[in-house]
Amino acid sequence: MWGLREVTALERPPTDLIDRVVERLAGVLRPDQILTAKTDRYNRARVPAPFPVHRWRERVPDLAVLPESTEEVAAVVAIANELKCPVVPRDGGTGLTDGAVPLRGGIVVDVKRMNQIHELDLENRTVTVGTGINMLKLNEVLGKHGLIYPDDPASYPCSLVGGRIGTSGWSLIGARYGHTRDLVLSFDLVLPTGEILHVGDGIGRQISKSSSGYQLKHLFMGHQGTLGIATKATLKLYPKPEAELSPFWAFDDYDAAYRFTGALARAGVATFAGAVLFDEWKVAYLRRDDEAYIPQPADVRALTCAVLYGWEDEVRVGGKRLFRIAKEHGARYLGDEISEGDWAARHDRYATPLHGRTKSGQVVPMSWHCEDAAVNYTRVPAVTKAWHEIVADLRRKTDVFDDWGMFAYTSADTGVDYLTEIDVGIWEQRLDDDAWAMWVRAKRDIAAAALAHGGSISACHGSCREGEVDLVPRELGRGFDVMLGVKRMLDPNNIMNPGKYLLDLAYQGGDLAARLAELRGEA
Amino acid sequence: MTQTEPERTVRPDALQRPFTPGDPGNDPELETYPETVHGPVPLELSDRRTAEFVEEWRNASYNCYSSGHKFCREVCPVMQVTRNESWTPTAFHANVVAMEKGELEVADIAADYVNCTQCGACELRCPNTLFTGDFYRFRTRTVDVVKAVRALAVESGVHQPNWRTWNARTDDRTHEPVLGETEISQENVRNWAEGLDIPIGGETVLFVDCEAAFYRTAVPRAVAQILQRAGYEFGLMGEQWCCGGPAAEMGYVDQARRFARHNLDNWRATGTKRVLVLDPHDYISFTEDYPKYFGAEFDIEVVLVVEVLADLLAQGKLTPTVPVNRTITYHDPCRLNKRKGIWEEPRQVLRSIPGLTFHDVDRVTQWSYCSGGGGGLPVEKPELTAAISERRLGHAAELGVDTLVSACPWSERPLSEAGDKRDIDVIDIHEIVAESLGIEVGGSRGAVGDRRCGGCAK
Amino acid sequence: MSYRYSDEHAPPAPQRASEVAVTTHEHVFEVDPRLMERWVLQQTFPNWDTLRIMHARHDHLDWMHAHFAQKTITGSDLIAEIENEA
Repeated sequence: MWGLREVTALERPPTDLIDRVVERLAGVLRPDQILTAKTDRYNRARVPAPFPVHRWRERVPDLAVLPESTEEVAAVVAIANELKCPVVPRDGGTGLTDGAVPLRGGIVVDVKRMNQIHELDLENRTVTVGTGINMLKLNEVLGKHGLIYPDDPASYPCSLVGGRIGTSGWSLIGARYGHTRDLVLSFDLVLPTGEILHVGDGIGRQISKSSSGYQLKHLFMGHQGTLGIATKATLKLYPKPEAELSPFWAFDDYDAAYRFTGALARAGVATFAGAVLFDEWKVAYLRRDDEAYIPQPADVRALTCAVLYGWEDEVRVGGKRLFRIAKEHGARYLGDEISEGDWAARHDRYATPLHGRTKSGQVVPMSWHCEDAAVNYTRVPAVTKAWHEIVADLRRKTDVFDDWGMFAYTSADTGVDYLTEIDVGIWEQRLDDDAWAMWVRAKRDIAAAALAHGGSISACHGSCREGEVDLVPRELGRGFDVMLGVKRMLDPNNIMNPGKYLLDLAYQGGDLAARLAELRGEA
Repeated sequence: MTQTEPERTVRPDALQRPFTPGDPGNDPELETYPETVHGPVPLELSDRRTAEFVEEWRNASYNCYSSGHKFCREVCPVMQVTRNESWTPTAFHANVVAMEKGELEVADIAADYVNCTQCGACELRCPNTLFTGDFYRFRTRTVDVVKAVRALAVESGVHQPNWRTWNARTDDRTHEPVLGETEISQENVRNWAEGLDIPIGGETVLFVDCEAAFYRTAVPRAVAQILQRAGYEFGLMGEQWCCGGPAAEMGYVDQARRFARHNLDNWRATGTKRVLVLDPHDYISFTEDYPKYFGAEFDIEVVLVVEVLADLLAQGKLTPTVPVNRTITYHDPCRLNKRKGIWEEPRQVLRSIPGLTFHDVDRVTQWSYCSGGGGGLPVEKPELTAAISERRLGHAAELGVDTLVSACPWSERPLSEAGDKRDIDVIDIHEIVAESLGIEVGGSRGAVGDRRCGGCAK
Repeated sequence: MSYRYSDEHAPPAPQRASEVAVTTHEHVFEVDPRLMERWVLQQTFPNWDTLRIMHARHDHLDWMHAHFAQKTITGSDLIAEIENEA
C-alpha cells in the first residue's frame, strides 16, 4: 500500500514557470490580487485537519490570487492551463479532507472576495450569491426578509458556500431541509480549461427539478476542487422558522440511547430536523470541561438530542410526539437550560485544543480531528465499537492521540443512515513522522471498518486524505474508473488540484487495471 | 494486501472503557503505558529574541493553530473589508508556529501585523475563549500576540515608517500628534477645559485621551460639565502625558512603560486614588497594561465615566429633560463591548434621554462592527480605517437613522467622515447627554462634526 | 463598576464540582488546576475577564437561538401539556 506515496511525491512547478505565470496574471488581475509573499503562501497551505507541522513547507503554494468575478477566475485558470501550472481552489479552508491543501505548489485561487449577494428573489425564494460568502453572514441579511438558507455545518460561522459545493457538504439540520446538494439549485463553475459552465437544472438558474439530459449537478459537487471552481451559486430559501425545539435526554447506557435515537428518527415527524446520539465515550469526554455535564450524576452515560424547526403549532405537535416516545423509552429529559444551551452551542464545542488530555489527565493542546462515515442505523453500534478500539490501540502507544468520543447524526428524515463520527484529539506539537504513520494507518482502518459494514468512507468531509483515499476505488468500484475518465476529459493537463483522490492514475501509463485491482484488494 | 477489517488480539485493558482523564479513581493501569513517540526534534533558533518570543507565545499560538476553525474570520473588521486570509487572527497565530519551525522570520511577518485594530472580536468569538477560556483560565489572546509581534519587530529593528514617526513625535511632545502637522504641546493639554474651573489634582482626577484633549474637545467638556452638574468632585492631572497605550499597541514598549511610569508617579504626587476615564482606549491601558507593568503596586481605582453616568442617572442625581429629537443607533466601542463586556450602561444612558428614537443593534451582532480607528491602523493604513468606518455606517444607514452615537473619541473621527457621505451625524454619548441636560458644551466636534452640527456652541 | 487590582486578583475560593473540575464565581466551572501543571500553564486571569467571558457566552447562545428561529419552545412546557392531556 505504501507504493502509492511515490505517485503523490512532491513535484513543484519550476521557478521560471512561476515567474511566467505571475507575469501573465498581471495582465488579468490588479497587483493587490496577486500575492507572492511568504506569509500569503504559508497561510494558504492549511486546513484544520492535523498534519505534521515540520512538513508544512511541502504544502505551501507558489502564489495566491484573489479574483473578484467569474471572469477573473476563468482568466486565471486559462493561463494556468496554458502554462500547465497547478491550481488549487480555496474557499473557507475549513474542510477536513485537505481539499484546499496544495500538494504540488502552484496557484491558490482564493475566492473569499466573491462574497456578494447578487440577487434576492423573494417571489421564487432564491438568492444568487458569490461563492465566497459565509452562510451565517448571508442569513443575517436573509433574516431581515424572514428567510433562511438552512445549510448548517459545524463550521457554519466561517465556512463558505463555494466550499460547501466543492465538498458536497452535510448539514446538521439536513433531515429537515436537505444537505448542500439539495439546497444549491445551480452554480457557475470554471472548468480546468478556463471555460465557464453553468451547472444545474434548466436554462435559467432557479429550477429545482428537471429530467432533461444528464444530471450533472452532483458530478460537480463534492469533487474537492478537482473538476473546477464554483464562483456564483443560486440557493433555495425557506421561511425562517418561527420555533425551535431541541430537547436533550439522558440514559444509563449506550444501547438505550441508541434504541431511542432510532425510534425518534423513524417517527416521521415533519418538523424533525435531526437527532444526535452521544455515546458513552463522548459523555465521559464532556465531563472534562463542559459545564452542562460536569455536574451530572454518574448514571448519565449516553445522550440523545433531537431538534425540530417550523411554525410553532407544528413544532408543538411534533415535539409532543417525540416526548411521548421518550417516555416509552425511559429517556430522562435533561431540562430546558441544558437542552437549549447545548443546541445553540453546537458549532462551538468541537475544535478546542484544550479538550486534549494525556492518559493521566494533564491538559495538552490537541487538534480536533473528526473521522466520519455514512453508516446504516443497524450498523452504527458495530462501527462504534471497532473505531474506539482503533483509537485505543493508538493510545496504547502514545499520548499524541486522545479519544474524544463519538456522535451519530441522522442524515435523512427516515433514519436510514447516520453520519457516524469519532473525534480524535491529536497533539500536533508532538506529531513526528512515526506518529503520523500510526495515524495514517489508523485512518485507513477506520475507513475500512465503515466499508466492512456496508457504509461509505465519508458522509460529510470527503475521502481524499492519505490513509482513507486508498480505499476509495474499493468503495466506488467501477465508478472510480468513470471518475478517472471524467477527470481526464475535463482536465486534460491535470492542473486542477492535482494529487487528490488518486486521480493522477488517469494520466499514468502502465497497467491501470492491475493498479486498480491491487487497490481493491483483488490482486 | 490490506484486510478490510484489522485483526486485533489485544487483551482487555483500561483503554477499552470510557474514562475521564485525571479522575483519581481511574484504573492505575492508565499510568503504565509506554510512550513510544519521541516527537519532532526541537529547532534551535539562532535569533535570541525570536527564540524567547516563540517560547512565550507557542502554546497560545498552537491553541489557535490546532483548532483552525476560524470563527474569528467573519467578525474581524480588517478581514471583512480586505477578504485577505493573510491578515486574519488565524494567520497571526500560525505565523508564530511557523517561526517556531524556522519557516518564517520576524521580517517576513511584521508588515502583516499592521492589519489589526486590536478590537478583540476574534479573541472573544473564538470558542477557545467564549466556551472554554474561563474554564481553563487560558483564552485566545490575539491582541497580545499582535502587540508582542509588533514589539519583537521594533526590537529587531523592523519598523513601520508611519508608526515610527508617530511614536517619535509622541515621545517628543508627550502626546500623540493628533492634529497632524500642527504640533501639540504639554502646555496645551488642559486647554479644552478653559472656563470650566476644574481644580488640579485631588483624590479623583479625570484623564483625557489625546484625541479628546486636542481634537474632539467637546467630549471632555461634556463629561466635565455633566459631572459638575451632578456634584461629582474631580480634578485634572498635575502633568498628564499620553497613557502610553498607543505606543504599546504599535510595539514601542519601552516608551509605553516610561509614559505609564510618569502618569502613575504623577498621580502619587497629587495624592490621587481614583482615575476617571472617558476613553475606552485609556480604560484598556489602565486596566490591562498598567497592571502588567506595575503588578500590585498599581493601587489606583479606575472608573469609566459612562458607568458613572448610568449610576448617577439611576440614582436621580442627573435628569435629562431637554428632548433630543434624533433617530439614533448606538455604536458599541470595541474596547468596551468586546474587550470589556461593557454594553448595558451606555444603553441605559441613552434610554434616559427624552426625544430619542433608538434603533438598537444587539451587542453580539456588533462584535463584527468596528470603526477601524484602533490599534494604530489609521496611522499606517488610513484607507483600511476608512473602509471599515464606511462599512459600519452602511449598517447604520440600513436602520434609517440620522445619528450614530459612539462612546469612543478615537472612533468618532473616521466614523464622522464616513457618516458625512451618508448624511449621518456622529455624536459622542457624553455630548448627547450634556445636550439633554441643557448644557452649552463648547469645544469642537472635529472638522466634520463642527461643519455638520455647528459644533457645540461656545 | 470600577477596577481595582487587589479585587481583580482575588477570585472566590474554589469549591469541588467533580473529580476534575471546581467552581469559583457563580455559574463558572474551572478545571482542577492540578491538570494544568505540566504542558500548558494557566494564564493570569483577573475576575473581570472570567465574568466577561461567561456573560458573553450566554449572550452568544441567546443570539444563536434568535438567529435560527424567532422563539424557542421548552421541553418542560410540552411535558406539562402531555401530562395535562393524560
